[in-house]
Amino acid sequence: MGVNQKKTIRLKEGFWTTDSEYAEPRLIGSKCNNCGEIFFPKKEKGWCIHCQQKALEDIILSSEGKIISFSVVMQQPGGGFYFGPVPYAYGQVDLPEGVRVITIFTAKDYNDLKVGRKAKLVIDKLCDDQDGNEIMTFKFSPLV
Amino acid sequence: MKNLNSMRKVFVAGAGLTHWGFFPDQECYDFGSEAIFNALLDAQMEWKDMQAAFCGSVYQGTGSGHQAIKEVGLSGIPIINVENACSSGGSAFRLAYQMVASEIYDVAIAIGMEKMPRGPIPSTAFRPWELSSGFNVQMANYANETVEYMEETSATAEDFARVTVKNRNNGSLNPNARFQKKVTIEEVQNSRMVATPLQLFHCCPLADGAGAVILCSEKMLKNKIRAVSVAASVLTSGVYGEGALAMGTSSSLKFPAAKGLVELSVEEAFNIAGYGPEDMDLIQAYDTMAPAELWDIEKLGFCKKGEAPGLLKDGYFNIDGKMPVNTDGGLMSRGHPLGATGIAQICEIITQLRGTAGPRQVSKARIGLAHAMGAGPNSSVTILKT
Ligand SMILES: [Zn+2]
Repeated sequence: MGVNQKKTIRLKEGFWTTDSEYAEPRLIGSKCNNCGEIFFPKKEKGWCIHCQQKALEDIILSSEGKIISFSVVMQQPGGGFYFGPVPYAYGQVDLPEGVRVITIFTAKDYNDLKVGRKAKLVIDKLCDDQDGNEIMTFKFSPLV
Repeated sequence: MKNLNSMRKVFVAGAGLTHWGFFPDQECYDFGSEAIFNALLDAQMEWKDMQAAFCGSVYQGTGSGHQAIKEVGLSGIPIINVENACSSGGSAFRLAYQMVASEIYDVAIAIGMEKMPRGPIPSTAFRPWELSSGFNVQMANYANETVEYMEETSATAEDFARVTVKNRNNGSLNPNARFQKKVTIEEVQNSRMVATPLQLFHCCPLADGAGAVILCSEKMLKNKIRAVSVAASVLTSGVYGEGALAMGTSSSLKFPAAKGLVELSVEEAFNIAGYGPEDMDLIQAYDTMAPAELWDIEKLGFCKKGEAPGLLKDGYFNIDGKMPVNTDGGLMSRGHPLGATGIAQICEIITQLRGTAGPRQVSKARIGLAHAMGAGPNSSVTILKT
């Protein structure tokens, strides 16, 4: 072959699972066995920053939640860190386990984004990296 | 902890600002030192009278305060550089205040200076995946907060436009402001969308600028024209459970904060000062984005949640209103050199309390409050009185 094969790479490991146990991709959070607090992304050190105990274990989160806020960003972010499309949208989704997730939104039409509307997890392309590989991340898409 | 009420009274010896705008041919050390010269002149003091210096900045690099002071005169006194995001200036002021109050020094200077990078502020204190996801756009983080505020109150885009109009009116009376031209509600509403629902004229402009305040004990005070003293200087940083998208944190749904950061810091400041909101004659609220001024006024306790838009419309926050807010035009007109903003807010209170604010003078101003938020998050509250 010799030609660079285009790969898909996760933005970061540990955000979601595609385990066949689940019908669709699911986010992985942390749940505190001591106080019940939930975190996303999961806390690598297993340390609960609420009750301040080492009492966290992984929890598989629901793939549907409720839109709390969103903003459609109309201009390129400063600093040269972001290589995705512009405009893009990000905001907050509440999941039924009791955790508020900061997420990128994807939508056919950004007018479909409404506070209080349900949104569903999708694993989607964020951008290409320098070698042409696709960087994948979690996003939420409004259910119209 | 030592009770700040039990410490000695601290006075403003002098204050100095530069003009705020774009200075492509100058380094921040140049206008930083200019602010120091202005403060020394106002205080009728010399650099050799300074016993400690605290310099707030965000983007100016290692030891930037030293570079500014080097242009005035090195004298071996301790120089501490303070980076605390948009609360850097307020934090530097607080350190200088504590040093004089606790009798470690009799005279200390707080400096704030910034030469801003051009374009949207690149907040970098995020994890790489958050930066790659584009979560560090502070206008969009404020936009998300604005969406939540609009859900919880009846505030509208027209209310936000009114904040810009008021502050730009005030800025037209401030010869140091970057923007000294008034705008209309229509101009605000026709400005381009930056991050929905926020438009360009809802956002404070960038600017380069610097300010300095010299604090001293009563004995060291030289310029005694309407002496201003510090009634409280408080800094509160991050509370568990309260969301702050500006630092990549969302609210806890299971354990929301009993009291928010701003509420905590203002409560502490009022406790120390022995005053309440009803005693203030003017405030400098934190208007990085127009809607933020409204919820800031509410969180500071000057009215209930959702009431600020109506009071604004009724002229309550105008210079001749019942509670003037951002009399110098605020961040919205003055511009926002991050590290310098907190000092500029304090300088405006000093100017007003001295009665030297000219056409933007608030009548009978005796007590004023300045509030600066900062990524972190930080909340810094300063109360000054004559
Ligand atoms: Zn816990």
